[in-house]
Amino acid sequence: MLALLVMICLLVSLAPRPAWARQAPLVAQTIQPYLDRLTEAVTEFTLDNGMKFIVLERHQAPVVSFMIHANVGAVNEAEGKTGVAHYLEHLAFKGTSRIGTTNYRAEQQTLKAMDQLFDRILAAEAAGDQATKVKLQAEFDQLAAQAATYVDQNKYGQIIEQAGGVGLNATTGADETRYFYSLPANKLELWMSLESERFIDPVFREFFEEKNVILEERRMRVDNSPIGQMVETFLETALERHPYRRPVIGYQADLYAATRQDVQDFYDTYYGPGNLTAVVVGDVDPEVVRSLANTYFGRYRSRPTPPPPVIDEPVQTEPRQFTLTLPSQPWYLEGYHRPGLSHPDHVIYGIIDSLLVDGRTSRLYKALVEKTQVALDIGSVNGLPGDKYDTIFLLYGLTAPGHSPGEIGTLLGEELKRLREQPVSATELDRVKTQARASLLRRLNSNSGMASLLAEYQAKTGDWRNLFRDLDTIDQVTAADVQRVAQSLFQPNQRTVGQLISPLPGSTQP
Amino acid sequence: MKRLPARFELLTLALLGLAMALWLGWQAPARALTPRSYDQLEFGPLPEIRIPDFERYQLANGLVVYLMEDHELPLVSGTATFRTGSRFEPAEQVGLASLTGEAMRLGGTTTLKPEALNEALEQRAASIETRIDTTAGSASFEALVDDTEVVFSLFADVIQRPGFAPDQIDLLKRQYRGSIARRNDNPDEIASREFEKLVYGADSPYGRTMEYATLEAIDRQAIQAFYQASIRPEQTILGLVGDFQTDQMKALIDQYFGAWRGHGNPLAVSPLPTVQQAKTGVFAIEQPQLTQSYVQMGHLGGQLNDPAYGALSVLNEVLNGFSGRLFNQVRSRQGLAYSVYAVWSPRHDYPGLFVGGGETRSATTVAFIRAVESEIDQLRHAQISAAELARAKDAVLNSFVFNFQSPNQTLARLIRNEYYGYPADFIFQFQEQVRTATTAEVLAAAQSHLKPDQMVILVVGNPADIEPNLATLAPDQPVITLDLST
Repeated sequence: MLALLVMICLLVSLAPRPAWARQAPLVAQTIQPYLDRLTEAVTEFTLDNGMKFIVLERHQAPVVSFMIHANVGAVNEAEGKTGVAHYLEHLAFKGTSRIGTTNYRAEQQTLKAMDQLFDRILAAEAAGDQATKVKLQAEFDQLAAQAATYVDQNKYGQIIEQAGGVGLNATTGADETRYFYSLPANKLELWMSLESERFIDPVFREFFEEKNVILEERRMRVDNSPIGQMVETFLETALERHPYRRPVIGYQADLYAATRQDVQDFYDTYYGPGNLTAVVVGDVDPEVVRSLANTYFGRYRSRPTPPPPVIDEPVQTEPRQFTLTLPSQPWYLEGYHRPGLSHPDHVIYGIIDSLLVDGRTSRLYKALVEKTQVALDIGSVNGLPGDKYDTIFLLYGLTAPGHSPGEIGTLLGEELKRLREQPVSATELDRVKTQARASLLRRLNSNSGMASLLAEYQAKTGDWRNLFRDLDTIDQVTAADVQRVAQSLFQPNQRTVGQLISPLPGSTQP
Repeated sequence: MKRLPARFELLTLALLGLAMALWLGWQAPARALTPRSYDQLEFGPLPEIRIPDFERYQLANGLVVYLMEDHELPLVSGTATFRTGSRFEPAEQVGLASLTGEAMRLGGTTTLKPEALNEALEQRAASIETRIDTTAGSASFEALVDDTEVVFSLFADVIQRPGFAPDQIDLLKRQYRGSIARRNDNPDEIASREFEKLVYGADSPYGRTMEYATLEAIDRQAIQAFYQASIRPEQTILGLVGDFQTDQMKALIDQYFGAWRGHGNPLAVSPLPTVQQAKTGVFAIEQPQLTQSYVQMGHLGGQLNDPAYGALSVLNEVLNGFSGRLFNQVRSRQGLAYSVYAVWSPRHDYPGLFVGGGETRSATTVAFIRAVESEIDQLRHAQISAAELARAKDAVLNSFVFNFQSPNQTLARLIRNEYYGYPADFIFQFQEQVRTATTAEVLAAAQSHLKPDQMVILVVGNPADIEPNLATLAPDQPVITLDLST
């Protein structure tokens, strides 16, 4: 019996593995040397304080793109303190104790006094004491005017622009916060100097002015955007407790009450060097990068690893839906639950996404846009609002004139049923695999694109090489795999539907 | 089964060689072992800008061709630029050019049904896209190098023998009707569209909009006629970039484009439409659901070949950008806006715009507009400081290298210059203009080109919450409310 088992084990281990049992597409063979060359052009190192660096050499032009990826986003925020991650991102452009101020000692006193006054203003409001509030507000405004005299406005951004930097910006998402720009290749040390200083010694000045800016941003993205409201409501409906249900921009009430201390605490917890990944792509010498990184970022003292967010979302057992009536032509949204990117089936969700919406040969384009003409356009978000943790797989459509969102829902239902019940054709699967490989290839001639991609993979999966391993994994996916995942993904009881409809003509606005 | 091309090994060596040359070329100043503040740093020079080798020639049928090799990746791409544009379509058929542009691709070819064309491309992770915009049309393709000939032949078919399948034209018209229905869903879109209508005029080829009636007047015949008049070898510049050998590519071009002939009469592309500013004053579009106002303000602008273009680019930097006057004042200091801008925005061959704007909450609409007006006013009355001039010049000149990041970018610029009749070295002339700009020149440019008395101010928002109301902006003229009905 044992002998038989051993033999079976041996046979199994010697059996042809999927990789060479199926002939790899010709395309993969042509592209592979370029991906290998890329791998060879990458250098990586970690500083003693835990900060990770990846350097990709590309000498096509004397330019360099930089990315700092902070492994923190809205998902890490506490209840009642939404919007802090994004607020911090804005404030990270305000300079340091040396950059952006004309007199830091005096400024620091004024800022402290303003914070204390703000706490008292909030307390007076809470107590309904209008008289005190008005008095405190007047004092506050005076201090704000005083504080403004110490500010060398937007100095940080100006230094970069003056140096010939382009693409200076940052983004905050549910999972991550990213800071990036590009510089001419002779200014590598400038990036080292500025970025290390900004993350070691940030000063969150112009805190209250920036609050107004962010409130304007929220108005623009949500209050005055029907689809913005749809997405916010969708996440609140599809998720009961998951931190992903809270908007990245934050709720108005939380933003209003946010204090500088809130931002400082968040920064202290989540911006330790071990939580940052830096990527440098372009016309550089990796040894010079390493030396400079040690010199500049070596000063950054390590901090404890921050705690992960608590995700205890109960399984959805019944379909959910909502309708918003807003001044807009109709939209249809349908979402399901999928696991985060560390799940072994992760790439299969991407394949399903591609089969459904990529290009004019995609299932939903052909059925909804071309054949029945019920939708003007269709699309998806594979991982709304993020993909580190259990998340949402979203499909959406815009109705064509004379059609209703419900019609999109019906047709979508038919297509998803097809995907559950019939294996996809070899042609379709082959197409998606070829496109995945070609798509990566096409990103290789963009420094900033590669900086972004390498940072994301390193920070989220622990190894930038997974960027390539994912391609191999994609190659091995079978039609049976796709069907299996489609069946677990597109379960009617796990569906959330959102419909955006126009008000009836002549009705008053809500 | 293709062996790794021999040139790949040469390429690796070439890259190594290049890396070493750069390393020797700019000795980093005494390597920093102590961290330094940004103002203590010194930087070595950048290498000189190098334009990649390219070849330009012309076929007997008039087709102009540019070829630029790029062996970094196994990709090939190309763009054909056509001398046409929506500014030439008949007024009763606004939308014809745009429709024709899309229909060229969506309608298949005379030998390949639309679905078959889509599959042939997408199965190979290739693409062909076509469009016609205001001043030009284009057809572009992208392919993996092994598919060069297959995709290039499809590209030639799409350009020379489009099928204009009737059901695809119907689909496109439906989609366009849908886009008319949706064009007021986004206040930003409303603002920029209606602003251009006010400045150029609702009947101008640069301001007019597609309507249900003009769309209805377009049929397959009209599309075919516009296509025939527009898409012809003697009116086309073809540019190719990628992993090919020039002589091999030339053979393919000869094979697939050599016999191409136009039919019928070419589109009349001159004289270009005349332009003058249509309106001035304060205008409002009521959207009671909004809590912010979306503002566009400005007037008619100019062209890139205006002698003051360099000085005006300096002005753009001073106003916009991270430490520009608007960002500092309107966004950071007053917290009035998330986005605010005022840009001299020229075009190649017709007057562009000077346009400012942004979003602000309803109650601060007038304050926002006054703040932008104030900045414009200051620029017309006082020279910018020497420091601002230096910063603006630095920003443009130090980032100049980013105009040459890829062969593709350089080739597109060469073709653009030829298409619009600009000198091939125009970008270097611009660089020199900026380098030699003075504060006096910038002041003169502001005074001659920024015209507060010619302003159109458009506010898309909720008038009930705009306090003080818009009338305070122009006490001598009534505020005109525009109707958006389709």
